[in-house]
Amino acid sequence: MTPATTRTVPAAGDTRSFIRCTRLTKVYRKGDQEITPLRDLDLEIARGTTVSLMGPSGSGKTTLLNLLAGIDTATAGELWIGGNDLARMSRDALAAWRAREVGIIFQSYNLVPVLTAFENVELPLLLHPMSRRERAARVGHALATVGLADRAGHFPRQLSGGQEQRVAIARAIVADPPLLLADEPTGDLDRASAEMVLDLLGTLHRERGCTIVMVTHDPTAAARAQFQLHLDKGSLARIERGDGAERVP
Amino acid sequence: MNAARTTILALRMLARSPLRAGLAVLGIAVAVFLLCAERALHAGVREATEANGRDTRLIVYRANRFCPFTSRIPERYADDLRAIPGVRSAVPMQIVVSNCRASLDVVVFRGVRAEDAERTLARRMTFVAGSLADFLARGDGALVGSALAERRRLRVGDRFQSAGVAVTVAGIVEADGPQDRNACYVQLPFLQASAGGVQGGEVTQFEVEVADPPRIAEVAAAIDAHFAADAAPTSTRAEKAFVARAAEDLVAIARFAGWLGIGALAAVFALVANAIALSLEGRARELAILQSIGFRGRAIAWTVLVESCALALAGSVLGASAAYLALALGDFGIGAEGVMVEFRPSLAVAAAAVLVSGLVGAAAGALPALSVARRPIVEGLKSS
Repeated sequence: MTPATTRTVPAAGDTRSFIRCTRLTKVYRKGDQEITPLRDLDLEIARGTTVSLMGPSGSGKTTLLNLLAGIDTATAGELWIGGNDLARMSRDALAAWRAREVGIIFQSYNLVPVLTAFENVELPLLLHPMSRRERAARVGHALATVGLADRAGHFPRQLSGGQEQRVAIARAIVADPPLLLADEPTGDLDRASAEMVLDLLGTLHRERGCTIVMVTHDPTAAARAQFQLHLDKGSLARIERGDGAERVP
Repeated sequence: MNAARTTILALRMLARSPLRAGLAVLGIAVAVFLLCAERALHAGVREATEANGRDTRLIVYRANRFCPFTSRIPERYADDLRAIPGVRSAVPMQIVVSNCRASLDVVVFRGVRAEDAERTLARRMTFVAGSLADFLARGDGALVGSALAERRRLRVGDRFQSAGVAVTVAGIVEADGPQDRNACYVQLPFLQASAGGVQGGEVTQFEVEVADPPRIAEVAAAIDAHFAADAAPTSTRAEKAFVARAAEDLVAIARFAGWLGIGALAAVFALVANAIALSLEGRARELAILQSIGFRGRAIAWTVLVESCALALAGSVLGASAAYLALALGDFGIGAEGVMVEFRPSLAVAAAAVLVSGLVGAAAGALPALSVARRPIVEGLKSS
């Protein structure tokens, strides 16, 4: 294992690199203890690729996902996504970038409980200059895409776990971002719901061509991605091709 | 993202938490109610005691006496008073009160001669019901001030009794001054006969009108000098100065109530700050979700500010409206030693209370707003 070596997905020398990490490091303190969940990570991911991040707890999967999402900042190293140097962006610039470029799906759905499914999905569109009518049309389309057009007026507490996660997916895709990040999106779901969510992500990738990075503990879910990145102790241990690899453009 | 969309989102989220918002609004409303009540008492004290250049009325009292039961002046002084230069009229008046001490339900009987009622009182009062003729036609007739009538729910023709004096309401009168609005005027001989311990030929005080307001102090001094060597020396003050002295306790209460007003504002601050702090504690994850979607820190801070201002404004509008209605409908007045101080409701005071509470609410939300805007998103997402 040589963590300092740049690993490129799908192939070394691919010029369409969308995500590029160079010696990416994250260190934080917990009491007197210094913890390094991510250490000198070098990685490139091409545009339109689906990647699953796997590894034991504490291996740095979620830390890497948070850095890719721009909701956490690296201690050292470079992180470029779509031509943006995230390490040099201010909080406001990162927020604006997230609104344009990223859709995030969390394990625990993270819907706003006091808003309906429609209002939750509409949230990202409030950050874009568009009319109410246009917003309504896009929210309706996103909910229809996840098969929940008839649940628009329901609050999260009135939905099942699988339905909540599909609303979260609708929210992540409604602004049509080029990058989808999912943190164990099937972790809290039963098998049937998990399959439905994974099918949905696969469809979104095929139809929209977005880049998807998904943290998962589930080998079945991981295998659906084109590439499986295995992290261990904050470093990239190995890369495997997944079942979806034949779809690599 | 524009402020209007964030504002609508913040209000929508607040409205969807009715219990949390309702309790905070209720607490703020109670505090603002107290604030308005205190301001109303303060305004009443000012109206009753603050002199101005247009004041023309003097109260002639027995020197070194401070209570209507002990101030006794010969009725015959009236002629002497009218002869003093600068005096336009002098009305002998017997005062009988249902309660000498500070009380919210005091009835002050003011006994005046029939001719004085016609010459003096009728000029400064407007009849809301009944008439002066009805008042003069019956010995136990009473002209009841509008505030007292409202407080006691009295109508023309009603009989009522207080301090051992039983009267029939012959008229309801409106007047500019709080003393007239809260008094019950009866004929002097009737009151002297009805009230135990009061001898005919004696009155409690004289109400003197001066011809030239700037000379009011000079006339007062002349009156006291005139009777200084008499068996019943006098102490003469402008009516509002007299009220301020007689109602010293009330003025002190009003001054103390000023601290309650400040306390009420502090309560508004604490309630809003507490509501916001609890809200943020429970909604840290919610706000982090918004940030993860792309809402900027200042948009998050704005939602917190909108929430704190909305709570403060809703509570203060509710409290100020309730206070205004209660004070206007209740016609509250507090009396002591025969003088009255009213709780004066005022739209200006209500509006000021709403404005100040809104500002206090904004101030209470400012620090939490800044703090939440700077909180790391990952930390917020981890909170339950």
